[in-house]
Amino acid sequence: MVRLKKSLTALSALTLTVAVLAACGSKNDDNASPAASDSPSNSPSGSPSAAASSAEPVQFSFYFTGSQNVKDLWDTLIPMFEKQNDKVKVKEVYIPSGAGAEPTYDRILAAKKAGKGSGDIDLYEDGINVVSQGAKDDVWAALDTSGIPNLANIDPKTMTDVSNMAVPYRSSAVVLAYDSAKVSAPPKTLSELLDWIKQNPGKFAYNDPSTGGSGSSFVTTVLYDGLPEEDIHNSDPAVMAKWDAGFGKLKELNKSVYGKGIYPKKNQGTLDLLANGEVEIIPAWSDMVLQQLGEKLLPDTVKMQQITPGFNGGPTYLMVNKLSDKKDAVNQFLDFVLSPEAQEVIVTKMNGFPGIELSNMSQAMQDKFKGVSEGFRTFNIGDLGTEINKRWQSDVAAQ
Amino acid sequence: MRKEVKQAIGGLIMVSPSFVLLLVIVVIPIVQSFVTSLGNGEGGYDLSRYQFLFADKGMRANIFFTLKVTLVSCALVLLVSYSLALYMRFSSGKLVDWIRKTYMIPLFIPGVIATYGLMNLLGNHGWLARLLLPLGIELPRLIFDEKGIVIANIWFNIPFATMLLSSALTGIPASIIESARDTGAGKLRIFLRFIFPLSYKTFLVALTFVFMGVIGSFTAPFLLGPNAPQMLGVSMQQVFGVFQEREQAAAMAFFTFLLCSVLGYFYIRSMAGEESANR
Repeated sequence: MVRLKKSLTALSALTLTVAVLAACGSKNDDNASPAASDSPSNSPSGSPSAAASSAEPVQFSFYFTGSQNVKDLWDTLIPMFEKQNDKVKVKEVYIPSGAGAEPTYDRILAAKKAGKGSGDIDLYEDGINVVSQGAKDDVWAALDTSGIPNLANIDPKTMTDVSNMAVPYRSSAVVLAYDSAKVSAPPKTLSELLDWIKQNPGKFAYNDPSTGGSGSSFVTTVLYDGLPEEDIHNSDPAVMAKWDAGFGKLKELNKSVYGKGIYPKKNQGTLDLLANGEVEIIPAWSDMVLQQLGEKLLPDTVKMQQITPGFNGGPTYLMVNKLSDKKDAVNQFLDFVLSPEAQEVIVTKMNGFPGIELSNMSQAMQDKFKGVSEGFRTFNIGDLGTEINKRWQSDVAAQ
Repeated sequence: MRKEVKQAIGGLIMVSPSFVLLLVIVVIPIVQSFVTSLGNGEGGYDLSRYQFLFADKGMRANIFFTLKVTLVSCALVLLVSYSLALYMRFSSGKLVDWIRKTYMIPLFIPGVIATYGLMNLLGNHGWLARLLLPLGIELPRLIFDEKGIVIANIWFNIPFATMLLSSALTGIPASIIESARDTGAGKLRIFLRFIFPLSYKTFLVALTFVFMGVIGSFTAPFLLGPNAPQMLGVSMQQVFGVFQEREQAAAMAFFTFLLCSVLGYFYIRSMAGEESANR
């Protein structure tokens, strides 16, 4: 007994020491970066930075978030890139969705405000909310074709939408995924969908909105149904008063959804239920559905359908930190991401819609995205998303 | 005198690494989160975050749910572990050998994997449901329910608790039991008067470990539990990571710490009692 305790103590002490050391290690990194960015290389993109001219490979930090498929994508693309460019190393920092990706943006902003340069975040991936927020706070670098020649492949309109502050490198949308063997006529509008859910109790599931975008998109779509179009681009807390009707509907749905009020965790949670036949219709990300159909994880009979008004969807953007001192290296990487070669990986591996114009892709690719690459809406409601999650937890989950 | 001073200094030096470690990773974070939890978000300091813990209906449900799951899990784990340990101590044969060889297996299976395994086994269309279907038995809902969390906790905690308890039972000299038997004590009497008192300390240690492990658990309740009420660990993650209310999350963490320290008090008191008895 005593010996056991001793060895346990020793073991836990060891673990703790390692943990403390690891924490210290990351802290050192943090401390090192401001020093580096204090050098006069806070220059606009295009001019050679001090770091890039040295013979040592330049390493920049790339923060991104999302489900496992996003990580898999970068795990494929980054080695491809590093093979072609031995002068640049990409340090990927993956933050699983629902694990607090928002603070990454707060860190960028805090580092800027504290005069500490880039905060060691050179490249960041996120949705339109963060792009526009960052444009307001002036933290993103403007991008142009002189630094990134392949920007020319992108639809110029999407670039002007974001004032050239971000690269829309792929997009995807939330759609209804349904089992066509069981559902012959899938709902085409939101009210048809709500009726279907009530008529087929237990056969629809959406995931806890705080744990994944597909459930969150369903909730948001229900809440903003019947509200003026401009409200989906409005982050004014005054809009919150208009949610009551929507939350009423969601509460009422509680007894008709899977398990009389079970909301699985994460985007994958509902897909698992669709795969084993427990439910027949779910909201899901198009890219996840296509990928899992390709890997035979979902039955072949699963099909996709967009409804009107459309679910959430849109491009995912890459933003360059304005204060990064490694812009040349980052630009090289972005140019690679927009090359047809990398875009094909995005399409085949991740089933995202390509960031470059679809007309640049083959007919087979264009057919693949028929019916799902259109009709979605882009919500831009800022912090209200958090308020929705909070209220959903207290009103719908804990009713 | 000098020798004593030397000894005292030596003792202090030997204690200091663990004391510093304790200070850095336990005491300071607790103080910090307590200070954080007092912030009311408007620059002032008060107990509003703690008030919310008990005033909010959902939060109150979370606390009761956590306590219920923890107590039920502790009771079941200790019951099973103690019976297993007793069985292994006082019986022999093939079955005992097998139990001895296999009961540690759950310790070596990573938590997330075991949790997904349980989902596949106990889910609505899982293995167990399919096996029982021909017999006409329909399972109650186990996954996405508190029962699922309790089952997972049993799986995770039995090996360690059994290990602790069986080592304590092995330490009871056979001569005590034999002499008691010679004087005519019955089985129940032997158990109540000798075996349980002699292993009571370890029982308390096992209880402490299981309680602490369960009350702060995250993976299994997150994946297996209902959406509401949630275990405190899951709710804390949501409040911290999704709602981004650091102060509220800190208040919940501190409250969990208080719950644990109640048990810690009994544990330390009993250990201190042992020390003074040995002197």
